[in-house]
This record gives sequence, structure tokens and C-alpha cells, in this order.
Amino acid sequence: MNLDGAPVLDEAVLAELRASIGDDQEFMVELVETYVAEGATNMDGLLAAATAQDCAAIIRPAHTLKSTSASLGAMRLSAICRAIEEAGRQSRPDTLREDAELARATWEATLTAFAEAGLRA
Amino acid sequence: MSPGQAIALVVDDSAVNRKVLARHLASLDIEAREAANGREALELLDADGAGIDIVLLDIEMPELDGYETLAAIKGDDALRHIPVIMISSVEELDSVVRCIEMGATDYLPKPFNPAILEARVHASLAGKRLHDLELESAARQAELLKTIERQKDELSRFLSPQVAALVSSAEGEQLLAGHRRIATSVFCDLRGFTPFSEATPPELVIRVLREYHAMMGEQIMAHGGTLEHFAGDGMMVFFNDPVLQADHVARAVLMALAMRDRFDALASSWASDGHSLGFGVGIATGEVTLGRIGFEGRYDYGMVGTTVIVASRLSSAAGPGQILLSPWAADAVDGMFDVEPVGEVVLKGFSKPLAAVNVLGMSSDPAHLPAREAAAVAE
Repeated sequence: MNLDGAPVLDEAVLAELRASIGDDQEFMVELVETYVAEGATNMDGLLAAATAQDCAAIIRPAHTLKSTSASLGAMRLSAICRAIEEAGRQSRPDTLREDAELARATWEATLTAFAEAGLRA
Repeated sequence: MSPGQAIALVVDDSAVNRKVLARHLASLDIEAREAANGREALELLDADGAGIDIVLLDIEMPELDGYETLAAIKGDDALRHIPVIMISSVEELDSVVRCIEMGATDYLPKPFNPAILEARVHASLAGKRLHDLELESAARQAELLKTIERQKDELSRFLSPQVAALVSSAEGEQLLAGHRRIATSVFCDLRGFTPFSEATPPELVIRVLREYHAMMGEQIMAHGGTLEHFAGDGMMVFFNDPVLQADHVARAVLMALAMRDRFDALASSWASDGHSLGFGVGIATGEVTLGRIGFEGRYDYGMVGTTVIVASRLSSAAGPGQILLSPWAADAVDGMFDVEPVGEVVLKGFSKPLAAVNVLGMSSDPAHLPAREAAAVAE
């Protein structure tokens, strides 16, 4: 998996999103809160599907995490989830566990980065 | 579409995506309703389909995905006009093509770019607005047509049906402007009506007129005559205009005969009041001028010419129960009716007397019966 140039949190994406919503800090915090809640559920689903090596079941949580992470600038997690979704669609279960473990660690790093960016209490 | 705020339905299983989209839409003054999957979206559309102006639809969703939802919307007569914009990531472009083939209006790439969102949503809403305007205009047009039909209906109670149809027809304006043709004019009135109306209580005069007019009206309609006007006990009816009638003279005579028969039955109920009334008719055929006559605010569809005056004079000259035909009219129906010559009639205003005939009844020779009377006999 090539993660070169995929930062945990892309400040530029975040800045663009912030600008597009009128620099509303309260909304940004609320959005990250939603992302964390939704992401946690999807991470659970993704890990469970990886443990079971269930290619079909891993597609949706990977897909949603890929897309919402990209929206909020969590580019590294988005890239990992894209690879997992792809593997799921191609029915390649062999790397699922390893990739899911990477996703989990990146998820933690992403939460920390959001906190450091002042977007999590 | 409501004239106020447009309403968008955002269908995405990600609450983050819904939130971001709703926020962007709000900045475009578009209210967002949210659904987490296709099933929820269809429920909302079923409940308030007409209120939703645009649908933003994710492809990958649990329960009912974007394809199934799109197919359901486009398969529903009440919903298919609502524009659907697909929400898709760059890798899903193949899916987008399929959705556009299925009837989606456009697509919106993820992550959302507010400028692209604005451009695509506005373009789709403009299309929807146009569609709504077309619907509105069609509804207004239908309403207008209904009004015209109703007015035509009401008009036909004041005008003869032929003239009412003329007023609203394409060739009507030309006919109303004036034209000449061969036509048959019928005048009829009551002998002895003036002394009768003076010596009789007004309620009875009105009752007699009402019964008389009702009977006459029925016969005018039954024979396809155009009523030009009636004044008291007098009436003028013409044939062969505005609708052409090859047998216009025969129709006029048949109508006069039917009126005379029915008049006799009616008059016997009035005669008991001590005054006898007689029915006289004058019929003339010839070239006449027809068109709109009158002045702004009160126009009639009228007929003028010598033929009209001849019919009027013949009617005045007719004795009770007589139906007098001008020579042209008599020639036109020669043999169809039993007639008797009444000699040279001197008509007021005409230098030469006229050889008129009085119609006694249908021809006693069955070979000369007009076709429709023959048909009636055959039945």
C-alpha cells in the first residue's frame, strides 16, 4: 500500500472545508464529533469483517470511512480504507487483517490530530 | 416548486456527508431534508414528493442503494420530474455514467466542492423550475379552455347554437365580417295577437308567449334553423347559414309545417279564452348578405337583402294557417309539398306583384316525399 504523501490530517483540506462553511468553529467541532461517532461504528465493522476475512462485509464500512475521512482531511486513513474497499471488492481476503490493523492505528492517530487541531474536546 | 425556499433531499448513509451537504445547501438558501438510505428517502418522497425540488443521492448505501432508489424515483409518475444528482467519489465514475443513463441529472464528486455543488444544484433547480412552470401553464390553459367552453355554453343560451359555435370558431371571424350566399328566410307571427294581448290579463299573455316560444324553439332546433331574432309574437329564422344545408328550402317548409301543426294544438287551449289566434308564415329564398350587425356592446348575427323583406311581407300577407312561399322557394321544393297558388300578391314596397303559393301539407305523392320524411314513413 502506497501511503506516500497522505498526511494523517491534511491542513489544506481542513482549511478549505472551514472556509467553505464560513469559518464556523462550532460547526467544525460538531462535524468532527459526528465523524468520530460514525467512524467508531465503521471501524468496529471493518475490524470485525477483517477478523472474519469477510470481503463482502468489509466493503461498506471501508467505503464510508474512505469518503468521510477524505471530506475532513484524514487522508491517510482514507487511503488505507480505499485499499481495503478495493481488496474487498476484488475478494482478496489475505491482506485484510493487516490492513485493518493499520487502519485502526491510523484512526487513533487521526483522533489525536483532530484534538491537536483544536477540533476535539 | 414553492416560490420561496427550494427543498433538497440529501440521501447519504454518512452523517458527516449529510451534515456537510446540508450546510453548503443552507448557504445557497436551500433547505435540506436528510435520509440515511434509499428506503428512508422513498418514504420521505412518498409523503412529500411534491415539496422536494431536488434529490442528492449517494450510490453506496445500506438497505436500498443509489441505483435502486434512482430506479424507484424515475419509475414513479409523481416523482420522475424531480432532478436527481448523484453523489460519487472519483473512483465511482463508471457508476455515475450508469446512473445518468438511468435518468440522473448530474453528479457531484466527493469531497464536496461548494462551487461545483452550487453550479450543479442551480442548473438542476432551473430545469425543475421550468418543468414546474410548464405544468402550471398547462393547468392554467386547461382552466382557460374550461372557461371558454362554459362561456360558449352560456352564450348558446342567448344565441342560436350555430352562431355561438361561429363566435368561437377559426373561420367565424371571416363569416362575421360579412358574406353573401343563397339562403332561405322564414318569418312567422300570430294573426290577432295585438287585440288578444290588449284584452287578456298580462299573466296569460306571457304564458301564451312562453308556450308559443318553447314550441317554436324546439322546431327551430329540430330543423337546424338559425334564429335571427324574435320580437313578441314574431320571429325570423334562416337556413343555409352559417352552416351550409343543401336542403335549406325543404327544411324551412318542414319546420313551418311542424310549427303550424303544433300551433293548432296549443291555440285550441288558448281559444277558450275567447280570442282566436292564427299562425302565418312567409318563406323566401335568394341571395342575402349576412354578418355581424349592430354596434359596440350589442351585436347580432343578421341577414339583410330583398329576400328578407320578401319573406317578411309574405308573412304579413299570409292569412291564419297559411305558409306562403316566394317563387324561388316554391321552385326549389317543387313536388315535395302539396301547394295551392294564391295568385299575384302585391307586397308593400315592391313595384311588381309576386306569384306566391300556399303550402297545404306534405305531398300526397309518396314519390315526391323528401328523403328524410320517406325514411320516417318507412320506419
